[in-house]
Amino acid sequence: MASIELRHVSKRYAPTVYGVRDVSLRIEDGEFIIFLGPSGCGKSTTLRMIAGLESVSDGEILIGGQAVNAIPPRDRNVAVVFQSYALYPHMSVAQNMAFGLKMRGTDPGLIRSKVDQAATLLGLTPYLDRKPAALSGGQRQRVALGRAIVRDPAAFLLDEPLSNLDAQLRGEMRLELVKLHRRLGRTIVHVTHDQVEAMTMGDRICIMRGGAMIQVGRPLEVYANPAETFVARFLATPPMNLMPAVLRGAGGDDLVVETGEGLALAVPSPYRSAYAAYRDKPVILGLRPEDFYEAPHASDWQPVPFTVVAVEALGAELVLVGQVGATGGVAPQKIAPPQEIAVRLSRHVVAEPGQMLTLSLDPNPMHLFDVETTRLIPRPAPGVPARRVA
Amino acid sequence: MSTAFGSTRSNIGLHVGLMAMCLVIVLPPLWVLRTSLVPEPQAYSTSVMPGFTLDNYIALLTRNKFGVFYLNSVVVALGSVVVALPFAAMTGYAFARFRTGGRFARFLVLATQMLPPVALVLPTFAIFRATGLTNSVPGLILAYAAINLPFLTWILMGFFEGVPIDLEWAAMTDGATAWGAFWRIVVPVSLPGLAAAGVLGFILSWNEFLFALVLTGPSTQTIPVALASLQSSNGVQIAKVSAGVVLAVLPLVIASRFIQRFIVQGLTFGSVK
Repeated sequence: MASIELRHVSKRYAPTVYGVRDVSLRIEDGEFIIFLGPSGCGKSTTLRMIAGLESVSDGEILIGGQAVNAIPPRDRNVAVVFQSYALYPHMSVAQNMAFGLKMRGTDPGLIRSKVDQAATLLGLTPYLDRKPAALSGGQRQRVALGRAIVRDPAAFLLDEPLSNLDAQLRGEMRLELVKLHRRLGRTIVHVTHDQVEAMTMGDRICIMRGGAMIQVGRPLEVYANPAETFVARFLATPPMNLMPAVLRGAGGDDLVVETGEGLALAVPSPYRSAYAAYRDKPVILGLRPEDFYEAPHASDWQPVPFTVVAVEALGAELVLVGQVGATGGVAPQKIAPPQEIAVRLSRHVVAEPGQMLTLSLDPNPMHLFDVETTRLIPRPAPGVPARRVA
Repeated sequence: MSTAFGSTRSNIGLHVGLMAMCLVIVLPPLWVLRTSLVPEPQAYSTSVMPGFTLDNYIALLTRNKFGVFYLNSVVVALGSVVVALPFAAMTGYAFARFRTGGRFARFLVLATQMLPPVALVLPTFAIFRATGLTNSVPGLILAYAAINLPFLTWILMGFFEGVPIDLEWAAMTDGATAWGAFWRIVVPVSLPGLAAAGVLGFILSWNEFLFALVLTGPSTQTIPVALASLQSSNGVQIAKVSAGVVLAVLPLVIASRFIQRFIVQGLTFGSVK
């Protein structure tokens, strides 16, 4: 078991071309951390640098407190599971799983018992004599995991191991990996671009973009307080609705966020002092689709006229895409052309394209972002978390 | 019905056309086979099969020592592949995976292939004469290995570039050294490519004429040189030459069968998706 520490780690391909830029992170012993980001954000490169498969241009990587920059992959005691599985095609399942131990000169009897144990754990016993070509995608994925498990490494590095599986199998394997982590207690670094994996599997998420680390934190913390508009949009499906807006005074300390669509949202009183510096300045308003409801559940919730453009009935819930209309009292002011937003409602709501609805918006989870930096404008945490009531 | 009839008619037309094209390609080799089985005096006859004899083959193998030359060709072609292939594999792998020498080195390797063989054969002869390698089978093996090396390196470089690097990375995190990953994973996975390259190298050596003509003597001749020697000042013994051509082509026909199988066979399937 081992902690992994990255100290100002960079990967440069040319003097000014960075794959990874100044990443510092400490992954605790036994922690399950997710590297999340879009393609080309540097998450796989970071993982390969931890494994020793890519050299580190700047900075230092420590595994178990020991600097490993100059240590070859075979001596780092980490196991990598690749997106492509990378099973040796000329070897049987048993030989694939035994390869790492054989390379380390382990006693053949011990190899056999460890392979048998891992095969039992992963349900691979009937396939031990088969070649990878004769296995399904899910079975190959299990063999790749088995090959990592038999070595009993200090840390598992998983490079998008579920992305080649179909949706159902991916769901099952997600659960399997979480169980495996609980059973083995090893450090796991899991690279993915799938938000569901990020939200459900890890102890912490590390979100990356353009080679840089944007935000690290517990999944629900990051979800509740995205550091930037990028995180706000990337971490959920449908993503957070972001609308250009202006923060205006409404008498005394009161503030109102006005959007181009005519939405005028009174800022909850606990946030007023935090947002005071942005009075009369443009901001970006962020509202999660699930902060809209079909009926109000608190007195400070605000009615929002909503014209349905498209309906996505997902069975368990209903996602409506549409445009926001004017709310009562405040005159609409054009800031930007009206944009479509997504709202997530109960599956019992009946809606059709073209229909006009009046939704209720819980303003407490609202976020405001700085227009220039796109970073979150800090505010106190919402007092009472919103509860969905069907 | 008319559509079916029309399609049948166009099918017949297509097949007649294809058969005509096939005849254009197949007729010359078939005529060589026919001439090799006809007595020498009737070889130029216009009739399809004026007679049948195996004398041409028997004469070649007994009086003209074709058996010896055949063996020379087999030993030289196989030997050159055995010598060149390991070096080509290692060089090709280095070019495919590392920045060894950059692009310049890749093209430098091909430099010898860009010169006409006649420009290389004389310096080679001078070196061989100085080292006593002329008129020897090992000498010719060395020369052919050197000729094959750049060609095989390039073929294998392309093949290794197609082997997923994840396999080597997996081996290296599993405890293998870079050499171990190459030897235990890349080489077995690349066997079809190595076999294809080997067969191509064999064909190249088997057909080579100029170096064999200059570097060999009466006892170390290879098949192409022996075939050429059948054209004497008294004329061409066309039936014997045809028999020699049939014998010379035989291993290539077998080799091409293998090369098809190896190239088509995708051993890497199932390793990565």
